[in-house]
Amino acid sequence: MKLLKKIDKKDADAYFRIRTTLVAIYLLIGFIASFGVVFFAEELSGFSVNGFPFHYFMGAQGAVLIFILLLFINAITNDHIDKKFGLDQGKKK
Amino acid sequence: MDTQFLVSVGLILITFGLYIGIAFYNLARKTSDFYVAGRNVPAIFNGMAIGADWMSAASFIGLAGTVMLLGYDGLAYIMGWTGGYLLLTFLLAPQLRKSGRYTVPEFIGDRYKSSTARLIAAVATIIISFTYSIGQLSGSGVVIGRLLEVDTAIGTMIGVALIAFYSAVGGMKGITWTQVAQYIVLITAYLVPVIFMSLQLTSNPIPWLSYGQIVSELQVLDVQLGISEYVVPFTEATRWQFLALMFTLMAGTAGLPHVIVRFYTVPTMKAARWSGAWALLFIGLLYLSAPAYAAFSRFILMTQVAGSSIADLPAWTTSWVNTGQLSVADQNGDGILQWAELVISRDIVVMATPEIANLGIFVVGLMAAGAMAAALSTAGGLMIAISASISQDIYYRSINPKATDRQRLLVGRWSIIIATVAAGIVALDPPGAITQIVAWAFALASGTFFPALILGVWWKRANGPGVIAGMLVGLTVTLIYIFAAQYGGFTLFGIIDTGAGVFGAASAIITIIVVSLATKPPSKETQEEVMDLRYPEEMVYRDGEVWLKESPEDTKVHK
Repeated sequence: MKLLKKIDKKDADAYFRIRTTLVAIYLLIGFIASFGVVFFAEELSGFSVNGFPFHYFMGAQGAVLIFILLLFINAITNDHIDKKFGLDQGKKK
Repeated sequence: MDTQFLVSVGLILITFGLYIGIAFYNLARKTSDFYVAGRNVPAIFNGMAIGADWMSAASFIGLAGTVMLLGYDGLAYIMGWTGGYLLLTFLLAPQLRKSGRYTVPEFIGDRYKSSTARLIAAVATIIISFTYSIGQLSGSGVVIGRLLEVDTAIGTMIGVALIAFYSAVGGMKGITWTQVAQYIVLITAYLVPVIFMSLQLTSNPIPWLSYGQIVSELQVLDVQLGISEYVVPFTEATRWQFLALMFTLMAGTAGLPHVIVRFYTVPTMKAARWSGAWALLFIGLLYLSAPAYAAFSRFILMTQVAGSSIADLPAWTTSWVNTGQLSVADQNGDGILQWAELVISRDIVVMATPEIANLGIFVVGLMAAGAMAAALSTAGGLMIAISASISQDIYYRSINPKATDRQRLLVGRWSIIIATVAAGIVALDPPGAITQIVAWAFALASGTFFPALILGVWWKRANGPGVIAGMLVGLTVTLIYIFAAQYGGFTLFGIIDTGAGVFGAASAIITIIVVSLATKPPSKETQEEVMDLRYPEEMVYRDGEVWLKESPEDTKVHK
């Protein structure tokens, strides 16, 4: 049987807002790293990173590393937010 | 029968024995186990299983060759196939996990309160997964055929028998743990040759740091030969094709039913986020290595093979020339093989590289075992998606709602066997190159599921008529564009068949929005269910109020 406790909707919406804002920021960073760099590929080829012209570095390594990093940052920050809102999945309260 | 043959077949048999052993050990009994592995797979292993599911024959066998032949323009595949995980993990996976449905068509049917939408989604799942699996089976046919030195068609048939057998007996649970093993085999097989080549060419064992130097040397070689330079952008495709292809692959990733279903196998929304992160880390390992592969192979071919006497070519050239995938004609008759006279198919670059770099019979055999793991693990996940669509969404929900678990399981197993055999028959004479077929599957997914799922989760006003019209329009536009571009030479902004998903997704999103707004809004109950997806699973949204689950039973359920 489910026991339910009512909580302030403002709290729940604050949770939703902070999650959505963070996700929007992560997606924007990912978009710039991929689509943004490709769109300006010629302009960004002037300098080198890790032995490649910058546009090639981003396509072959930079964008992928940023994607991986964003996913782990998301998982970690979300765990923190859950804790802050008193949610701790998988553990007894 | 030479030593190479025995070593390769031995390695394949050992790895396959391992996969089948694991599948048998986990022999599925209950329906819920069969489809979603009892929802108790830890995030890190689920990440590996997603990785094995994900990295198909196209990634393992085709990707490095594509990057080698297309240069910078091939990197659209690298960013597209990894970037899709951002859309999937941020925008869909946790919400779909909270919805608690078994399959993608089931989610669409329940969210949009429409059995028509569910049927369209089930049919789309079957079309997409079937198209995708044709590529996998023909890939396995090439590897088995080359190894056993038999016709590719016979190789494909052997692949069909293997995949039908272990998908049908093991179900998803078998496949989840089998795929963890497959991931380990395929990533080892991929990394060992590239590390050895890095050592040979640069004396640095870390290919990701060392191949920049090789890329610079390639630029010098290209300038000497007067050919288009390796790193210069948009030489093989237009800027818009690059962007459209990248979008198609990303949106397709977020809409592929056999990948999404993986996120139902995790216990919580939190685990869904961690599974996505681990999955991209494991997948990224291969995708970061593919351009290194490409650069090393191109360098070895340009410096060690091109320029040598035509009468004195290494032994490996003969066997690949015999398959028709490599051509070394001495066109100007000077007795020397020029770079321009060497024509290599993009699909054999990875398979031939250990031989080209002379890495020894064990590494060559390992590559064969890894390629088989890539092709068959993806085919396994695809078959489960087809089977779930037929037995759950079509048979149980539309034909026989009174079906017992046993009957549904039986229908599921027979659909796997029939679908595998049917895909195998098409794969005997495939309609296009492996990578091309796979890109079509992605375009279809981005024209149907991507819009239906994104709007279904994030826009509560989207309704049944909207999604029915949207999926049909998206499917039609994508199919027409692929055919028109492929066979009619029709293109917009230089975007060819592989970029078709951008038009499919745009037309589907516009249709869903316009038709939804022109028809009745969804019921209050449906809108509340969509609102509920905004909150973590401890919270329940009801009548404009949010409730927190507190019972110890609930906590236990999520454990």
